[in-house]
Amino acid sequence: MPTIAGASVTKVVIACDAGMGSSVMLASQMRKRLKKYDVAVEHVAVNAIPADAQVVLCHSGLAQRARGTAPDAVVVPFQIFMGDPVFDQVEAAIRDGGTLDG
Amino acid sequence: MTAVADAKHLEGAGFRARIQRGGGYLAGMIMPNIAAFIAWGLITAMFIPTGWIPNERLAELVGPIITVLLPVLIGYTGGRLVHGQRGAVVGAVATMGVVVGTDIPMFLGAMLIGPATAYVLKLIDGFIQDKVKVGFEMLVDNFTAGILGVLAALAGLLGIGPVVEGLTKAAGNGVDFLVDTGFLPLVSLLVEPAKVLFLNNAINFGVLSPLGVAEATETGKSVLFMVETNPGPGLGILLAYFFFGPRLLRLSAPGAIVIHFLGGIHEIYFPYVLMKPKLILAAIAGGAAGVGTAVVTGAGLVSTPSPGSIFAYAAVTPRGGFIPVILSILVATAVSFAVASLLLGFGRGEKAEEAPPVHEDAVPVQASSATAETTAPTHAPAMRNTTAEA
Repeated sequence: MPTIAGASVTKVVIACDAGMGSSVMLASQMRKRLKKYDVAVEHVAVNAIPADAQVVLCHSGLAQRARGTAPDAVVVPFQIFMGDPVFDQVEAAIRDGGTLDG
Repeated sequence: MTAVADAKHLEGAGFRARIQRGGGYLAGMIMPNIAAFIAWGLITAMFIPTGWIPNERLAELVGPIITVLLPVLIGYTGGRLVHGQRGAVVGAVATMGVVVGTDIPMFLGAMLIGPATAYVLKLIDGFIQDKVKVGFEMLVDNFTAGILGVLAALAGLLGIGPVVEGLTKAAGNGVDFLVDTGFLPLVSLLVEPAKVLFLNNAINFGVLSPLGVAEATETGKSVLFMVETNPGPGLGILLAYFFFGPRLLRLSAPGAIVIHFLGGIHEIYFPYVLMKPKLILAAIAGGAAGVGTAVVTGAGLVSTPSPGSIFAYAAVTPRGGFIPVILSILVATAVSFAVASLLLGFGRGEKAEEAPPVHEDAVPVQASSATAETTAPTHAPAMRNTTAEA
């Protein structure tokens, strides 16, 4: 499983099935939260995650596909679209320099 | 985030990921072009003879957009998925082969021939890549793609087109049979579980919408657009969570309802089902009730409502069709809400079901606070509310 230090994250990719719906919604939320740490946030279709992606956030139901598309990325699955603790964890790792595990 | 363990067994198995991936490609050819579907839907709803403001001249747009533009866009996008811009171009040219000379929307043909032609070009490009003399790259690139486009368009026109036309018509007849015999609501048995496994786009855009468009071009509307997109089943489940769900999730339900019902992002309710998989019964019951209502009342939409928001529904509802459409949503919501509430024990038994969270990703502090909150005596007021509502 790939891991990454929060401090070296420069971009978070949020993936959903089509890259047009829920990922856009989450990306606009995460963008606001991560802006102050100079971390860019993008949304993509889970089949089109760029190979150089560092951190990928997606629903746990799509995590396997995300890992298939971007095997080197740290894929962080979440369970619910609103208020999942995973979003706080990612922000905390970036803010405090913790480690994110795939 | 409770009972996440329940959701775990739905995950895993590469099989599901493979199905999702295949479905993702189908949806990926159509979803980037939804704006064109909406444009077509609005033009149709307004200008056809039974539309809001009938206009013969402006209605001339309807036929060419649906039989030529939309399939070519799909073939183009399908080609692009496989082999970038060059794939997109040959995919579009090849799709012209299947759309010419037919009066049905060749979505299926486009979804086949666009990516297939792009794949052939990808193979050709890979084969000749290192064999081209310096300075001849552009010449070779343009003519390999151009000549392949010719061959694919001819193959499409003479071979693939007629076959796919037959298949599309057979599928349409199958749907007619389901509608006529009243079996269409049973489709929800497949659609609703597949939906929460993130096959929603694949089912709607890969299967139901192409069939729906074929029907809508003949009759002006189709019930198939309402099978997967009906926001009722999800809304009923979210409402049930709001009144009877675990306290932590209860608080998130109103926001989820807004995003689901008004914003049309249905994914928002999938986790609520995945956490308590038995709730899929509520989605199935609600979905089937909605489809049944639609069939009985003759409801239909002129194009696919995407996203599945009540506003998108209103935009693609044909003139005079509002009551059946709204009824279908209301019935689906009510049935799904009733079944989901029952399955949630009307808020009772919630305490017993709150097993200690075992979610590996969950923050321990939050998890324990969730358990603590759910033990608080909060069910009584919420219960009164709903009883009054029901």
